[in-house]
Amino acid sequence: MVSPLVLIAAPLAGAFLLGLVRCPRAALAVTLATLGLAAAAAGWWVWQLGWAGAEAVEVFTAGTPPPFAIALRMGLPEAALTLVITLTGLLSALHMQDNLAETGHRAMAVLLVAVMAYCGIVLTRDLFNLFVFFELAAIATAGLILLSADARALGAGFKYLVVSQVISALLLIGIIFTYHATGTLYLDGIAAAAAKPALAFFLVFIAIAAELKPFPANGWALDVYESSHPAFSALISAAAGAASLYAADKLLTVGGPAWLPAATAIGIVTFVAGNLLALPQGNDRRLLGYSSVAQIGLVLAVAGQRDVLGEHYHFVAFGLLASHAVAKAGLFWLSGMVAERGLAAWAALRARPPLIFAFATFVAMLAGLPPFPGFYAKWELVRVLAAEGRLVLLGLILFGALLEAGYLFRWFGFALKREPSGEGLACAPSKGIPVLAAVLAAWGLAWQWGDASAQANLLLGLPLLFALAFVLLDWLPAWVKNTLAIAGLAAWFALTLGQYDPLRLIFAVIMLAGGAVTLLASYHAHGRRIGFYPSAMLMYAGLAQLILAADTFSFFAAWEILTVGSYFLILRGRHSEPHALSYIVFSLGGAFLILAGFAVAADGAASFAVADLATLAAPVAPWVFLMLAIGFMTKTASIGLHVWLPGAHAEAETDVSPMVSGILLKAGLFGLAVLLLAMGRQKLGGIDLTLAMLWIGAASALLGNLMAIFQEDAKRLLAYSSIGQMGYALFGLAMMNHLGWLMALMFVINHYIYKSMLFLAVGGVAKRTGTRDMYRMGGLINLMPLSFISVLVGIIAMSGVPPLSGFGGRWIFYNALLTAESRLPMILIFFSGPIAFLYLFRLIHTIFLGQLKDEHRRVKEAPFWLMVPQMIYVVLLIAFALVPGVALRQVDGHLGGLLPAGGLSWDGLTITSDFGYWNPVAIMVIVGIIFTTLFLWLVFVNRRAQKVKQFNIVFAAERPFRPETTHFAWNFFAPYRKALGFLVQPVATGFWNGISGGLHAGADFTRRLYTGNAQTYAVHLLVFVVAVHLFMTGM
Amino acid sequence: MAHIALATGFLLFLIGLYGALTNRNLLRMIVAFTVADAGINVVIVAVGHMRGRTAPILDGAVPAAEAASRIIDPVPQALVLTAIVIGVGITALMLAYAYKLYEARRSLDIGKFMELKW
Amino acid sequence: MDFDWMKIPYALLTLFIVVNYGMLQNALIAKIGARVGRRRGIPIWQNYADLIKNYSIRSSITHGVMYYLGPVFRLSGGVGLLLFVPSLYGSEMFSNLSFAGDLILALYFIFFGTLGMALGAAESGHPYAAIGITRGLQQVSAAELPMALAVFSVALQYQTLSVTEIVAAQQGGFQNWTLFTNPLAVAAAMLSFLGSMMRPPFDVVLAPQEIPIGPPTEYHSSYLALMQTNRAIFPIAKIVIYMNLFFGGATIWPEFFLKVFLIYMVSVLVGVVHPRFRVEQSIRWFLVWAVPIGILSIVLV
Repeated sequence: MVSPLVLIAAPLAGAFLLGLVRCPRAALAVTLATLGLAAAAAGWWVWQLGWAGAEAVEVFTAGTPPPFAIALRMGLPEAALTLVITLTGLLSALHMQDNLAETGHRAMAVLLVAVMAYCGIVLTRDLFNLFVFFELAAIATAGLILLSADARALGAGFKYLVVSQVISALLLIGIIFTYHATGTLYLDGIAAAAAKPALAFFLVFIAIAAELKPFPANGWALDVYESSHPAFSALISAAAGAASLYAADKLLTVGGPAWLPAATAIGIVTFVAGNLLALPQGNDRRLLGYSSVAQIGLVLAVAGQRDVLGEHYHFVAFGLLASHAVAKAGLFWLSGMVAERGLAAWAALRARPPLIFAFATFVAMLAGLPPFPGFYAKWELVRVLAAEGRLVLLGLILFGALLEAGYLFRWFGFALKREPSGEGLACAPSKGIPVLAAVLAAWGLAWQWGDASAQANLLLGLPLLFALAFVLLDWLPAWVKNTLAIAGLAAWFALTLGQYDPLRLIFAVIMLAGGAVTLLASYHAHGRRIGFYPSAMLMYAGLAQLILAADTFSFFAAWEILTVGSYFLILRGRHSEPHALSYIVFSLGGAFLILAGFAVAADGAASFAVADLATLAAPVAPWVFLMLAIGFMTKTASIGLHVWLPGAHAEAETDVSPMVSGILLKAGLFGLAVLLLAMGRQKLGGIDLTLAMLWIGAASALLGNLMAIFQEDAKRLLAYSSIGQMGYALFGLAMMNHLGWLMALMFVINHYIYKSMLFLAVGGVAKRTGTRDMYRMGGLINLMPLSFISVLVGIIAMSGVPPLSGFGGRWIFYNALLTAESRLPMILIFFSGPIAFLYLFRLIHTIFLGQLKDEHRRVKEAPFWLMVPQMIYVVLLIAFALVPGVALRQVDGHLGGLLPAGGLSWDGLTITSDFGYWNPVAIMVIVGIIFTTLFLWLVFVNRRAQKVKQFNIVFAAERPFRPETTHFAWNFFAPYRKALGFLVQPVATGFWNGISGGLHAGADFTRRLYTGNAQTYAVHLLVFVVAVHLFMTGM
Repeated sequence: MAHIALATGFLLFLIGLYGALTNRNLLRMIVAFTVADAGINVVIVAVGHMRGRTAPILDGAVPAAEAASRIIDPVPQALVLTAIVIGVGITALMLAYAYKLYEARRSLDIGKFMELKW
Repeated sequence: MDFDWMKIPYALLTLFIVVNYGMLQNALIAKIGARVGRRRGIPIWQNYADLIKNYSIRSSITHGVMYYLGPVFRLSGGVGLLLFVPSLYGSEMFSNLSFAGDLILALYFIFFGTLGMALGAAESGHPYAAIGITRGLQQVSAAELPMALAVFSVALQYQTLSVTEIVAAQQGGFQNWTLFTNPLAVAAAMLSFLGSMMRPPFDVVLAPQEIPIGPPTEYHSSYLALMQTNRAIFPIAKIVIYMNLFFGGATIWPEFFLKVFLIYMVSVLVGVVHPRFRVEQSIRWFLVWAVPIGILSIVLV
C-alpha cells in the first residue's frame, strides 16, 4: 500500500535532497528519480483503483478526521490526474534537462515543488490547503518561467505575479468568509453546511475559475505560454490545467447545481473565444496557449453540464481533459524541438517522419477525431446535450471545435507543405522521448476510451487496424505496400460480400473492388512513398466501415475516419495545402452537422440504429433531415458547399485524384441514399425538403458544368465536372422515385469508372508534359494513343452519346423525369447536359488534337501502371454499356421493395419502362455495322491518302509555323463567358471567404484587448469577476 | 471593534489594489500589493474575532473544558500566519523580478514590458 | 434472338430514297435562296456532280486517325439517326430500325456524328476548324434547350417516349397534330430548329466570311464526299423527328416529302431575311425568347 502522501512527500524530500547535491548531473538524476517515483506511486493508485478494485481512500494528515486536520482523498479521478501531473513533470524535466542542469539544483527543486503543488491541489479536501497549494504553484511557476531562454519571459512572469496576487486576494477573502459562515474548511463539511455564504463562495469560485485562464482574464497566461520554456508550458498546460480544473470541479460539487450555469458560461465563452483568437496567431507557442485556454474552457463547460451528464460525466470530462493534456504536452515538447517560432517553421519536422506522425496524432487528438478519447467524449456530450435540448451550447461547442480544427489543420498543412527554413530541428533523445511517450499515451488512451465506451471500440475494427498497420510498415518499398493494400481491400470485400444488400453492394463494389483497381495505378510510384498508404488505407477503412455501419455511432466514426484519411491523402499534392485545408474544414463542418443530427435523432438513446431514423416524427424529423442532408451534401460538393472540391481534386497526386473523386464522393451519395431511404420526404415550414434538394441538385449540375467549361487546367475541369455529375446523382435521389434512384446508382457506377479513368489519363499526360494547363498541350494523340483512347471513351460515356454506357444513364433519367412530381428544376438539368459537351470536347481537343508543341515532340506514353487501370476501365465501360442489367437488375428489384413501383422490365436484351424502350446490344451492333461499312468504304475510295506534316494546312495566304499561335485552345469558350459569365461569378467562394475573413478580422481586432500591460490584465480580471457576478445574479 | 477592523482591512485592501493598478512603477506596485495583503490579513483576523472572548491559549486562565465557549476561534489566526508567510514569499519573488527587470531594461516602468501581447 | 433480316434491305431502301431526296432538296433550296438574291443559282443536279467530282479527286491527304474517322463518324451519325426513327407511320417496311430505342436514343444520337466530326476536324490542327466547332457547340448547347423542353412536353402530353406511339396519337386529322394540341411546345421546338439548321441568323458556325467554312475547312475529296452525303441525309433525319413529334408524321412518301420540305423552308424563310448573330447573341436569344416558351409548355401541358 503506497500512501497518497508519497505524492507530496517524495517531491519535498527530493527538493531537500537536492540542496545537498552539488554535481548538476547527480542533481538531475535525483530530480528524475523523484518524479519517476511519484509517477510510479500515482500509476500504482490508478492500477489499484481502476483495475484491482480498490476503494477510494481518505488520508487524515494529523491523525484526526476533519475539520480538525487536513484530509487528502485518493480516488480514481485523483489517481489519474496525479499520474498525468507527475508524468508530465517527469517528461518535461527530461525534455529540459539541459536547462535544468545549467541553472542548477535550485531550479530542479522548484520544479519538484511545482509538481507537488499540482498534486496537492488535486488531492486536498481542505479549502485553505487548496489556497496554499495554489500559492505554492504560483511561486514555483514564477520561478520556472525564468528557465526560459526568452528574455521576454521576465515580463511575463511579473504579469503572472501581479494577476496571481489579485486572484489570491480574492481567494483568501472568499475562504475566510466561507469559513466564517460554515465553521469549517473541509470541503465536504462546507458542502453539508446548512447556510452557504453566496458572496464568499462566489469569491472562492471565481478565484479558482480565474486560475483556469478564462476569457478575457487570461492575457497573462498567453504571455507565459508564449515565452516560457516549452517543456514548462507543457507542464502548465497539461498538469496545472488539469489540477485547476479538478479544483473547480471540487468547488462545483461543494457549491451544488446553482453554480453550474456560471461554470458552463465561463467555459463555453472561453472555448469559443480562445479558438477564435487563435486564428490569427503566427507564433506556435502562443497559438498553443490559446488552444490550451480554449480546451480548458471546454472541460469547464462540461463540468457545468455534470447535472445532465450524470454517470457519463467523468467519461466525457476526462476524455476531453486527457486529450487536451496529452496532445498539448506533446505539441509543446515538439515545439521545443523546432528551432523557430513561426508556424511554417514546423516544416522542419519533415526531416523525421515519426515526428510528423506524432504531430498528426496530436492534431487529430485535439480535434476530437476517432479513435481518440475526445471523439467518444464528444459523441456522448453531444448526445446528452441534444437530448436535454441544450442546443445553443451544443452549437457553440461544435462551432468552437470547428474553429480549432481549422487552425490546427492549417498548421499541420504548413508543416507538411512549407519549405523548411534554415535552423531545423533539435533532435536529442531527451527531447524525442517525451514526444514518443505522448504518442504512446495517445494511442493507449484511445484504446482505453474505446474500451470504456458504451459504443464499439473503434480500435477493434479490422479495417482501421489494417490501415494503422501501414504506419508500422512504412519502411517497406511502395510496391510491397501496394500489393498488401490491394490484397487487403480484395480480402475484406470477399469477406464481407454476404453482408450487403444490393444497394450497398453497388457502393461496396465501387469503394472496395474499385478501390483495389484504382490502387493498381499506384504501382508506378517508386521508393517508399512515406505516408501514402496509411492515409489511403485510413480512407478505405472509413469507407469499408461506413457501408457496413448499422448504428449511428459507427456510421459517424467511419465518416470521420474516411474524412481524415482523405484529408491526409489530398494534402500530399504538391500545391494542395490551402485546398486540403478547405476540404477538411468543410468536411468537419458537415460532420458536425451529421453528429448533431444523429444526436437530436437519438434523443438520449445510447445506441440508435441508422434505420430507426424512419421512426422520427414531425417536429424533430425535418430538422434532423436538414442537418444530415447538409452534412452529406458537403461531401458531394453540392453547389454552395462546393468550393473545396476543385482545388482538392485538382491538386491531389495523379493516383489520388481518382480515389477522392471516383470513390470518395460516393460516400456522400451513400449517406444521402441511406437518409432518404429512412426518412423519405420531410417538410419544414411548408417547404418540401426533397424538393429543395432537387433544386440544389439541378443547380449543382448546371453550375458545375458551366464552371468546368471555363477551366484552363485539365484536372480542375474534371473536378468541376464532378460537381455537376454529383448534382445529377443528387437530383436523381431527390426525385424519390424508383427510376430516379436507379439513375442515381447508374451515375454512381458510371462516374466512378469514367472519372477515375479520365483523372488517370489526364494525370499521366500532365506527368509527361509537366503542365496541367490544356492550352500548353496539344496534338498528343500520336504520342500518347492509349491515353487518347481512354479519354475518348471516357468523354463519349460521360456525354451520354450512344452507344456507350452514359446513354443508359440519360435514358433512365428521362424516364424518371416523366414520373417526377415537379417539373421546373429539370430545366436546369436539361441545360446542363449540352454544356457538358463543351468541356468534354475541350478536354480532348486541347490536349490530344490540334497542334503539337515543340517541347512535347519527344514525350512518351503515360507510365505503364497508370495505363493498366485505364484499360480495365475502358473494358468495364463497354461491358457496362452492353449489359447494364448485370449491375442494375438486382438493384432495380431491390428498389422495387423500397420505393413505389415503376421499375424497368429486363426481358431479353431490351430494357423497357412505362414510357419507352432501349436495347443496348442492338444499338451497339447497328452503330458498329454502319460505322464499319462506311469506314471500309472510305478506306476503299481513299486508299491513296497521304499522311502530311503538322503545318500542311489550308491557311489564309500564309504558312503557319508556330504551334503556340496556331493551336486554338486558350479561353476556348469566350462567347459563353460573355453570354452567361454572370452565372459563374464566384459568389459561394466570396461568401465563404467573407466568413473566414470576417472571423479572422474579428479575432485580430479582439485580441488587441491583450495589450501586454500587467495592469490591464489585472483590470480584465476584475471586469471578469464583476461580469460573472452580474451573470449569476441575473443581471 | 470587529466591524472597525473589518472595515479597515477592506479599506487597506482597496487602497492597495487601487495603488497596484494605477502606479506604473514596479516597486510602487509591489508596495501597494503588500498594503493589500496586510488589509486582507486584518480582515482574516477580524473575522476570527469574537466579542468578549480571550486569546486561544490553553493555560490556567482558560481550562480546556471551557475553552470552546471562552476563547476566540484560533483557526483564522493560524490561517493568517500561513497567509503572511506566503505573502512574504510572493513579495520577495516580485522584488526579485523587479530587480531582474530593472537589470534588463534599466527601467521600472510597467509600461516598458509590453512586448508580449495579442 | 429473332431478328427479321428483311429489315436490312428495307432500311437501305429508306436510305436510298432519303439520300436522293436530300440531294435534290438541297439544290432546290440553294436555288430558291439564289433567286431571292436575284441570282440564277445552281442546277438541280449540282450535288450529284459535286459528289462525283469529290470522289474522283486524285490528291488526297490525311492528318491522322481521328481526321480520317471524322467523316465516318459524321455520316454514321446521319444514317443512324435516320434509321433509328420510323420514316413512315404505319409502314412495317419503313419503320426502319426503331426497335433499338425510343425518342431519347434519337435525340442523343444526334451528337454522335457531331462529336466524331468535331474530333476529326480538330485533329487537322487547323484553328478555323476548332473555332468553328466551339462556336457550333456553344450555340447548340443553348439551342438544344427549348427543343429538349418541347420534346419533354410532348412526352408528358402523350405519356410515352416511343416515336411510333406519339405519331399514332396524332392520327385522324390535322387538328390532332401536336402543332394544334400543344402549340407552345411546337413554337419552342421550331425556334430551336432555326438554331440547328446552319442558316442565318445562326450560321456563324460555318461563317464563310470570318472563318472559311468552319469545321470542314481541311476536308476534301472523298472525305468531303461523305460529308456531303451526310449533308443530304442529316437535316432530313432531324426534320423527320420534328415531323413525327409535332406535325402528325407521314404515312406515304409524298406526304413525307412535302412535310419535310415545308419544315425545312421555315428555316430558309427566316434565314434569307436575317443578318447573322454572334455566338453570345444567339445564346442569349435562345435563353430569352425560346426557353420561356418551352418552360410554359412544360408547365401547362
